[in-house]
Amino acid sequence: MTTPVGERLAEVLERLAGRWDAAEVFHKTGRSRSVRYAGGASCSAFHQEEGWAARAGDGRRSFFYAATGAPRPDAPWPDADGRGLRLPPARLVPEWTPPLDLDASLLGENEAQAFFEGLDRELARELPGARLARGELDDGSSEAHLASSREVAARVRRRAATLYLEAVGPVRGGRAVTLRAVEREARRFQPLALARRLADRLAIGERGTAPARDRGEFLLAPPVVVSLLDALSPLWIGPGAVERIGQLVDRRGRVGSPALTLVDDGRLPGGVLSAPVDGEGQPTREVVLVQEGLFRQPLLAWWQATPSTGRASGCAARPGWRDLPSPGPTHFYLRPDPALRAAALVEGLSRGYYLLDVEGAPRLEEAPRRFALPVCGFAIDGGRPTGSVSGAWLVGTVTAFLNGILTAARDLTFLPSRSGLVGAPTLLVKGLELRRRRDRSRD
Amino acid sequence: MAAAAEPALSELDHAGIARSLSQIADHRRDLADAFFERLEVIELPPEDQHGGIRVRRESGVAVRLVRRERTWLATRDGISRETFSGAVRRVARALPRTAYPEPLFPEETWTEAPEAPEVLEFPAALTRALRAHHVKLSYRLTVRRHRRWVRVIGTQLASGVERESFYSFEAETPWGRGGGLLTELGERAAESLAGNLVHAWRAREAAPPEPRQSTVVLAPAATAVLLHEAVAHALETDTLELGGHPEAAIGVELGAACLDVFDDPATAPEGVRRKADDEGHPVVRRCLLRGGKVEQPLADGVWARRSEMLRAGAGRRAHRHLPPAPRSTHLELMGGKAARDELMAAAEGGLFLPEAERGRLDPRTGELELRFAYGFRIRNQAPGVPVGPATLRGHVSDVLKAVAGVAGDAACAGAGWCAKGGLKLPVWATAPDVLLAAVRIEP
Repeated sequence: MTTPVGERLAEVLERLAGRWDAAEVFHKTGRSRSVRYAGGASCSAFHQEEGWAARAGDGRRSFFYAATGAPRPDAPWPDADGRGLRLPPARLVPEWTPPLDLDASLLGENEAQAFFEGLDRELARELPGARLARGELDDGSSEAHLASSREVAARVRRRAATLYLEAVGPVRGGRAVTLRAVEREARRFQPLALARRLADRLAIGERGTAPARDRGEFLLAPPVVVSLLDALSPLWIGPGAVERIGQLVDRRGRVGSPALTLVDDGRLPGGVLSAPVDGEGQPTREVVLVQEGLFRQPLLAWWQATPSTGRASGCAARPGWRDLPSPGPTHFYLRPDPALRAAALVEGLSRGYYLLDVEGAPRLEEAPRRFALPVCGFAIDGGRPTGSVSGAWLVGTVTAFLNGILTAARDLTFLPSRSGLVGAPTLLVKGLELRRRRDRSRD
Repeated sequence: MAAAAEPALSELDHAGIARSLSQIADHRRDLADAFFERLEVIELPPEDQHGGIRVRRESGVAVRLVRRERTWLATRDGISRETFSGAVRRVARALPRTAYPEPLFPEETWTEAPEAPEVLEFPAALTRALRAHHVKLSYRLTVRRHRRWVRVIGTQLASGVERESFYSFEAETPWGRGGGLLTELGERAAESLAGNLVHAWRAREAAPPEPRQSTVVLAPAATAVLLHEAVAHALETDTLELGGHPEAAIGVELGAACLDVFDDPATAPEGVRRKADDEGHPVVRRCLLRGGKVEQPLADGVWARRSEMLRAGAGRRAHRHLPPAPRSTHLELMGGKAARDELMAAAEGGLFLPEAERGRLDPRTGELELRFAYGFRIRNQAPGVPVGPATLRGHVSDVLKAVAGVAGDAACAGAGWCAKGGLKLPVWATAPDVLLAAVRIEP
């Protein structure tokens, strides 16, 4: 590295490596535009951030020091305490072509304002009386450098835009519906499509009812599946995953149906968070966690990988300079079937439910692993919608969900999650149940 | 608490900064201010976690311009002439007619070595306290010391340096996780946490209560969460706006006549006491409810400019990258005349709930939810057999009108972290035991 940043990193590293067995320096700069919209009022912010972090230690003690600004070799380091530090060695990074849109300009303030105003107008056109109550759009780019005493030297550039929308319908005092989306660039958000989704959700929420209890086949749209996968994602992370997944494996050694293939891919082509290396400079790769219903391996950071647990996944997430790397998904998704349209699944559903979205956070019980997910959508009969559904729980066991997946469509959609992005296509599932929520019993 | 971080803010050239800001506030009634922030977090992670002690130090500036319904914000990391002037230029709507000389900034040095011996000693103190209960529990403990210095300089006012210093902890056990805020770490705090861990451990297999209307006694820590969710959040102007004009809430009967609730940052526990809010306005002793009726909602400077009936002084910023929002700091429920025994006698057969795990108010529907990890069935005016996880649910007004008694002895109780709207803020309370007659309790 010959950039000024690289020189600063090398200087800090030299200072630390003279005293400690292991040392690492991380530096990140970023620029972002964020626009908050609430009816007539709005707030437009521009952030320029710069921070760095150093880790140093030996086998018995270590410290982590992070600060704003450029790396300082004369930083007032804290006393290391009784936990040791190990760092990964440099590894060969496969060839990487950065996405072309990394250098696209950030969304302008007026563009963002016009986006929300347009979306608000479209929403009112789709559903008279509905309005956008709140919108938050963040568009940013960043560049991170990493250097360590084990000769790791990496540079990662990223570009991401996130969107949060909250809309209310014409009925005063009604519930708001929310929507989240992520793209590499804010200009890819489509106001018309988003307005339609919000209008659909509002209409369902206002007209929808829920059956007291019903079973059948369920078509789960991407937001519903993503919510479940996100809640279940800790199952697949770390060496303890083998034991956790073991409890879900049936007599045939299967964890799910043949339509279930779960993947995490840190260098997914076109992925918003794609990068050549992870937060510790280890090469990223596609990791198949479950292949056609059979468990393959968990997500493992380099220090967790052993011959018995599996290969390292290159999955150390490091969202910013304030954070320590920790294993987690980047693009965690259920593999779609490229030949199957979601619309074909709806047309083929003789009797059941097409669940479009979630109305809240899932509830997950540890033992036995059962889940309850507040959902909304349509009742389907003969491939056609017969009524709106709202105020219902989708309930079942995790095993029933994983084994009940009959087919996956091709509409893979990624959404922001607790860590990284989680993606899923529309799924046809059996073995679950719909129950009316108690807070909607008056419906 | 002397710290090298402080002079950098106390020695700011406030006249020069105000002059620079006056150049961008070029419309009548424009508001322009600069928010300077320095913070430090020292964290001791759980023993099994990778790496040792963690230190984070930040400094930065946010420049804001408010013109009618629009706000522009520019934030930069670091406090210097370059970062301040860069932020001012970003926010300016037009080139200034006259250019004043740029203000001078003291050199930003933070050479003080990060030390927090009380944080390092706390795990051992907790082990000793648990031993005194003759219990050996398995848990993962994270302890942090938070220190923050802020100063606001505007075209019309300049605050002094405001300081905050407090501690937070998270304890994760096989049967649940909990956390809290403390103004002091030591033997007393360790004993209190040990007592809570032992109660939670003893209740780990207790059956949850049956869903029904129940009489409930809330201990001070649980009352603090009730006040925060049901009074403070309900009376924040950004919540009230969802239902129309915030001023319309004044005079509304929200709770029982025995409820007198104040927000007073100046009487908060030492270490987190404030003279000015995060917009530089002097804090006020704000009566939120008097005799159960709304007297003065929580407003920040922007809301106070819109209405003569609203008073500024409750503007809080989680950090420089977000604009201020109206939030409470230190809630006080005035003590009643009853003794705890009398409240317990009135709730015979009901539930005693010592501390709430979390709370939530739906700002649109007014639905309130408080979650408790455990509680006790009241027998013979005392906490009896433990009960498992319970949820108190109801409309905010119904729950507050169900308050049938307030004990005389108020205790200082850290209400915890508030996370409304993505703003993570520490909030505090001084509250006594409270008797709730006939509220909905669910498992």
